[in-house]
Amino acid sequence: MKRYLETGNFAITEGALLAGCRFFCGYPITPATELAEAMSKRLPQIGGVYLQAEDECAAMHLCIGASLGGMKAMTATSGPGYILYADPFGWAIGCEMPLVVLNSGRVGPVSGITGAPGQGEFYLTRYPTQGGNFESVVLAPNSAQECMLMVCEAFYLSERLRMPITVLADQLITDGMEDISVPENEAEMKEMGIRTYPRKHHAGPDFYPHTDALDIPPVQMGIGAGGLCSDWTPTPEGYDIEEVSDHHKHAYRLIYKVRNNRSLFNHHYEKKFMDDDPDLVVVSYGTPSRVVNTAVGKARSQGLKVGALRLINLWPFPDELFKRATTYLSVELNWDGELVREVQRAASKDSKVHFLGSCGDLPTIPDLLETFEKILKNQPLARKDWVLEVW
Amino acid sequence: MATQYSSSALVDNYLRKRKIPSTACSGCGLGINHKIVIQAIEELHLSVNDIVWGTSIGCAGRQTFATWQGDGFAGTHGRAYAIARGLRIALPRDKKIILTVGDGDAFGIGLLHLIHSARSNADMTVIVNDNLGYQSTGGQFGFTTPQGVKTDSSPYGMFEHNLMSEGMDVMHILKGAGATFLARHVCMDGAEAVESVKKAILNPGFSLVHMPYPCPTNFASRHLGSRNAVNIFNWMKERSAPLGKETPDTIWATGIYHDAVGSRSEFSDHIWSTVNKIRRTGAL
Repeated sequence: MKRYLETGNFAITEGALLAGCRFFCGYPITPATELAEAMSKRLPQIGGVYLQAEDECAAMHLCIGASLGGMKAMTATSGPGYILYADPFGWAIGCEMPLVVLNSGRVGPVSGITGAPGQGEFYLTRYPTQGGNFESVVLAPNSAQECMLMVCEAFYLSERLRMPITVLADQLITDGMEDISVPENEAEMKEMGIRTYPRKHHAGPDFYPHTDALDIPPVQMGIGAGGLCSDWTPTPEGYDIEEVSDHHKHAYRLIYKVRNNRSLFNHHYEKKFMDDDPDLVVVSYGTPSRVVNTAVGKARSQGLKVGALRLINLWPFPDELFKRATTYLSVELNWDGELVREVQRAASKDSKVHFLGSCGDLPTIPDLLETFEKILKNQPLARKDWVLEVW
Repeated sequence: MATQYSSSALVDNYLRKRKIPSTACSGCGLGINHKIVIQAIEELHLSVNDIVWGTSIGCAGRQTFATWQGDGFAGTHGRAYAIARGLRIALPRDKKIILTVGDGDAFGIGLLHLIHSARSNADMTVIVNDNLGYQSTGGQFGFTTPQGVKTDSSPYGMFEHNLMSEGMDVMHILKGAGATFLARHVCMDGAEAVESVKKAILNPGFSLVHMPYPCPTNFASRHLGSRNAVNIFNWMKERSAPLGKETPDTIWATGIYHDAVGSRSEFSDHIWSTVNKIRRTGAL
């Protein structure tokens, strides 16, 4: 195990290389640029390829091409670039091409503030392309170390589910410097819980069987299997077809290969002080969860019955975590409230759901403690200008 | 005497019978272009496993996707060139990539990616099947639609500046961008077109063959007032001439525009040799 004081971008790079990524194509954008720079340095050293594309749309299409040729590929961007991935994202979903996409959230909409963290792309990661009829998988780390692990996990899931997977980080995680341990061999990888899965080849002739099964290798070009793939609705052999009944089967696979195999990733959440059915459950993901965890710890020491639930697997949304009727507070790095809507939807009908938003900077521990106290005492939350006290 | 090719033999050797005949409209020239490419492959003695065939959208994409017996893909609008560049890195070097795309795909929505494919001299052969506008969406003008032509979206006649008029030619852009082989043929060019496509396929770099062809259904019915295929074939033939023999009426000068085969290193060769050097020595 080698230890570094480095950025999240460094950790993501090392994680991707451990997972077998040998192709990275990106387009510079703050705060994901340093990841591209790290890849440009590291990939050639181990026999991989870094390319800089003419735009984000091309970057992801180049990754698709490399994946179509059998390489494990990755790209990274921030919100304004992630929206330009919509077109290739749809292709990779429809053609079932494994790929890992890192999105480092900043303040939006669009350019906003480039060097400040935001969480305004929660729903965008669920619906990264047009058209619907698919399920998404999104992982959200909250530290540089976890970035490394989550990127490995994303490659693992991407291969087994044959689909593009998003790792949703934010500017504080990718730019911030932290203590990072990088495993140096397989035994150390195993010790850290890193799972890897090799690219497998498809012999055809049925490339799109109507099944929710895992571990069906993706279509690959150049191996003489007669592989066909396109963004049109495919028959099992990959021919394009205009029959709704065929699309129904296609959509079934795209949706249920994820939903029916949730045991693959439903352990990805973090619970703190949740053993005694707390009166208030604070829900968060990404960087804010670090402040939330500290604040909840302090609240406990003050006798408040508060628990913390950190989501790591954002999509498919872990509805099962919200079965218990209680009071929930969603703490997010946005002012419009996104995660809170899913908490409201998933929470049992007798629950109460509150929202505390900030953007560009983290909520403070005193602010959080004051909010916890007021919610538990049923007092109205302090309204700060235009920030909603309750969603 | 030129070799006579039986269409059924070419179909047996290279195409998926399920997709032949294609769903192209009656009288469409796309099948002739497609046959020119298959004939070139046959004459080069290439097998199905030597080639990955990519397409995109529109008439050219939809009608040629999955016709190739071997590996094939269709990208979204204008993006096949970016996919092909990524694929070029991953494929064994001896595999060839042929892309059959339309004029809107190549010279409109995909032009940026096309230019960067030329810049990097990525080994691919792009066959632009140009039916002079957006025909699969009903017959709107495109960026190579001849000046004055009436279409659904140019009811007064095509009057926008485009890439085939006023001394402009998309071939100049691609040459400037670094393409190493460029040719243009109308589908009536036959054996000459086959020769150019062969040279394009053999070029270990970025090649593009621009192949205008007639659309009786939309283009001809709007502009010539008739869906009779003979009229549009004649109309195009009268407006094409070999390079150097152009007349004032010539829209399409045909032949090899630019042959710089071997003048620049190929994209994936360049990338992989650079990567290997860095890996070996730690520097360039």
